[in-house]
Amino acid sequence: MANITKKVSWSSRGDDRGERTPLLNGAEDSKLNRQLSGGGIFHIGRLSTVDLEEEITPEEDIIRSRPKEIPHNEKLLSLKYESLDYDNSENQLFLEEERRMSQMGFRCLEITRWVICGLIGLLTGLIACLIDIAVENLAGLKYFAVKQNIEKFTELGGLSLSLILWAVLNSAFVMVGAIIVAFFEPIAAGSGIPQIKCYLNGVKVPRVVRLKTLVVKVFGVICSVAGGLAVGKEGPMIHSGAVVAAGVSQGRSTSLKKDFKMFEYFRRDTEKRDFVSAGAAAGVSAAFGAPVGGVLFSLEEGASFWNQLLTWRIFFASMVSSFTLNFFLSIYHQKPGELSSPGLINFGRFDSDSVQYNLYEIPLFIIMGALGGMLGALFNLLNYWLTIFRIRYIHRPCLQVMEAMLVAAVTATVSFAMIYFSTECQPLGPDHTEEYPLQLFCADGEYNAMATAFFNTPERSVRSLFHNPPGTYNPMTLGVFTLAYFLLAVWTYGLTVSAGVFIPSLLIGAAWGRLFGILLSFITTSKSIWADPGKYALIGAAAQLGGIVRMTLSLTVILVEATGNVTYGFPIMLVLMTAKIVGDYFVEGLYDIHIKLQSVPFLHWEAPPTSHWLTAREVMSSQVTCFNRIEKVGTIVDVLSNTSTNHNGFPVVTHVTEIDEPSKLCGLVLRSQLIVLLKHKVFVERAFSRFSQRKLQLKDFRDAYPRFPPIQSIHVSQDERECMMDLTEFMNPTPYTVPQETSLPRVFKLFRALGLRHLVVVDNENRVVGLVTRKDLARYHLGKDGLEELQLAQT
Amino acid sequence: MDLSKCTIAVLCSFVAWTITLMNCLISPAEMSGDVAVKLPGAVIPVSKANSLEFFYSLSLSSFPEDLEVNEYCIELLRIYGQRYVTFANCLVFYARPVKVCQNCYTGFKGLKEIYLNISSGQGPGNVSCHDSLTRSDRLMLLYTLYSNLEDIWTSAKCDQCLTEHEEALTNDTRYFMATLNQSLSCFEQYKDNHSELCKDCKPRYKRLNELYGKMEKNQTLCIDIEDAMNITRKLWSKNFGCSFPREETVPVIAVSSFMLFLPIIFYLSSFLHSEQKKRKLIHPKRAKSSSSLMNIQDKFS
Repeated sequence: MANITKKVSWSSRGDDRGERTPLLNGAEDSKLNRQLSGGGIFHIGRLSTVDLEEEITPEEDIIRSRPKEIPHNEKLLSLKYESLDYDNSENQLFLEEERRMSQMGFRCLEITRWVICGLIGLLTGLIACLIDIAVENLAGLKYFAVKQNIEKFTELGGLSLSLILWAVLNSAFVMVGAIIVAFFEPIAAGSGIPQIKCYLNGVKVPRVVRLKTLVVKVFGVICSVAGGLAVGKEGPMIHSGAVVAAGVSQGRSTSLKKDFKMFEYFRRDTEKRDFVSAGAAAGVSAAFGAPVGGVLFSLEEGASFWNQLLTWRIFFASMVSSFTLNFFLSIYHQKPGELSSPGLINFGRFDSDSVQYNLYEIPLFIIMGALGGMLGALFNLLNYWLTIFRIRYIHRPCLQVMEAMLVAAVTATVSFAMIYFSTECQPLGPDHTEEYPLQLFCADGEYNAMATAFFNTPERSVRSLFHNPPGTYNPMTLGVFTLAYFLLAVWTYGLTVSAGVFIPSLLIGAAWGRLFGILLSFITTSKSIWADPGKYALIGAAAQLGGIVRMTLSLTVILVEATGNVTYGFPIMLVLMTAKIVGDYFVEGLYDIHIKLQSVPFLHWEAPPTSHWLTAREVMSSQVTCFNRIEKVGTIVDVLSNTSTNHNGFPVVTHVTEIDEPSKLCGLVLRSQLIVLLKHKVFVERAFSRFSQRKLQLKDFRDAYPRFPPIQSIHVSQDERECMMDLTEFMNPTPYTVPQETSLPRVFKLFRALGLRHLVVVDNENRVVGLVTRKDLARYHLGKDGLEELQLAQT
Repeated sequence: MDLSKCTIAVLCSFVAWTITLMNCLISPAEMSGDVAVKLPGAVIPVSKANSLEFFYSLSLSSFPEDLEVNEYCIELLRIYGQRYVTFANCLVFYARPVKVCQNCYTGFKGLKEIYLNISSGQGPGNVSCHDSLTRSDRLMLLYTLYSNLEDIWTSAKCDQCLTEHEEALTNDTRYFMATLNQSLSCFEQYKDNHSELCKDCKPRYKRLNELYGKMEKNQTLCIDIEDAMNITRKLWSKNFGCSFPREETVPVIAVSSFMLFLPIIFYLSSFLHSEQKKRKLIHPKRAKSSSSLMNIQDKFS
């Protein structure tokens, strides 16, 4: 593994680079060879380079040069990810449109944005409602069938048959869920939070906000929760909300080929991303009943592009989604109008006398936080190893489905064995908090205590751990349960099913937190009530969740909102802080680990420290493919269709010379724009011959968004190749530029704060010398021995 | 309305206070503890009959027109007291094992009737005892006493075992009691031989259990039935030890270990047979190094 990470050191910098062998030795048309191609190196997939069409085209050209192959690891950057075009292209078309638009038009746009946010909230709430009802009914059916069966066989003998029935039912549900994910939409696997984090960071993750993904996600999560896996349905809600937002704001569905001719103005990355953040917030809000937490989640993940008005709008979407879910669930529960269950997860009500905490409990909370951090780190570490193994060996869809089914079966087996061998019995409560009490070998009128934890959806188990009166669980049961569930949850996260990690984390934490509370009351001699186990269960749940996901502000608010009790704000914050500090000492958060393992060029808040000595000159990719202001169509087509150089932004220069000389920058044109231009055949010659032809508008660019056709699908005849194209009107005349001596952190800040995609590096005469893109920056990271450089790879 | 009532109450209390004061002035020897604790807010002490009579006679003699508790209300109060005692006695008597619903419903009915009578405010000659008896003081004893008992009655869910007007036990309840008795008599019969009991009484016990389950679903359970069932279940499982034994540990362990073994095979085989996924590295084009770039620039500039 050592040979793949190249340490960037002061002394051997030059040598390191010298080692690299040029891949393609000028084998392409010499026509293209107009840039400075210093050592005969040809452009081989520069960093910003992926095709705009989201499907990855195999790059046969590279194979012949036999590139180095290494096993997958976390220190790679994948080529399949590209940036979003958050930066507005202020070309002449844009200015024209702005001039045409009246004051009224702008006001209408603003109102439309609010309407869209309302719609996003509404639809997200409805989806949450659908998931909730479907899971409840399916799981109900399953548990009912298994319970009947167990009761029958307890009497007659043959309980191993019940075990098999349970395992088969679980596997069947999970199989359906895994098949649709593995074969139809692999991006829908997991909780979706890492993907949305990437999207809000400015990375265009292929297919992440498509309708198909949403459908697969929703059905997948229903199957996996009903299949009894150690998963929750909250994480996927965030993804679902984001997809809803991306779909609604566009007013059409490309997958269904249906255009409602609405919201056309919003068809670009800038606007779409704002709505996606609203959607993610609405998702959080629906999942936890935490509107403020949702807003803060979006703020935390995509904060560099925020303003007050957007925050307010996102809050509106959150509120609407929470309210919608609440309203429809109240109808479903036949108490219409009773708006007291605002989220998918319901922590139940904490009574005011049990929520009190005292000063002397603060150290205990801190200890619990530290414990949560350590357990969370362990969870992440184990899951990290497992995920690497999965990526390397279990990459075929059928294997993935099999694995998921096995996990489901083993989950059922472990649960059954735990229940079977547990000898602890509890009397049935008067108010039937247990949905499916299992008697098994207990006396009549009592139920198996282990079954409350295992023979239930994880969410209900959390609630019973929070609220069951002291004495419901004995320490042994809880200890065994914590251990078993911890291992199951580690094993489950990262399977090819869509499922979240929030609930299992909460459940593990609640179990050991309650255990902690019970042990405390053993230690204290006086029978004081301050060690209420439910309270410690909540604190433990917060600590564990914080230790695993390492979210900060938003998680605190989410938990406070979900418990519905502000009194717990301070302890929860304290616990989350401790958990994060302790956990970060060992290993990163789970989502960050998964982002890294997916080789996403993710830009963190700041450039890695000790990187000031790196300048733009070293960071940039050079030998930039440039175009003339008035360029020959043939050249453009050739550059665009060259699969080995899937560049995306092209600086437009005054005059490209044949010799290796940089020339003056006068604009930047994007691949998508060029493709639209080629499609509409906006050639200089045509403009004179066919003056009846309508002038190209910004609308034409938006119509093609987001799936611009690939260059191969555009037919350009031999005659047309000789035509010229005037890019002046369409290019962005004022792209951001930096001088060569700019340090890496400075470049980084520009990128992160403005959401750039291309940053042109110029010399002191404004001549293009290089181009910085996201992958150029994301490859630097701080490793064990200083600054390390990630490698680019094809995935 | 409220305001005027309030004024009246203040007036009355003032009057009462004056009376007390006068009483103290006239005959200080007669001043008992009961009178001394009377606050201006507490007009009529209803709990102590003798003190009431004393107070009552006093006020009668001084201010006949301010008469607050009339004859009729006193009568009602007396009946209330009687019925209250009867019902409370009944509750305590049938507390363990719980048989309150079967035996005390008449008592509750009587108490409820008289309380409704008091609180309805309809009496002969347009007299309302509601305000004078139940709402004149801070304690509101009649109300508190009644509502406590009513809470007990509600949480016992006795009305689920009784007919609509709480006149008799429902047929379901009677039937359940009959079934219960069958089981109990069976238990009695075999109480020396537990293994026999488990075998022979099982059909009856099972029928009882099923009946109970059905009633639970129909929401026709009251505390009597629940308690009786609880006791019977305890007898059955704890005293006689008729629960199911844990017999088939071996097959369960076998199946479980087989299931746990599957993933190991799966991971091993995929580790050995599935080819490892390799990533193709791609070398980005970069400026060779700063020095070489400088050279180029020097050359051209």
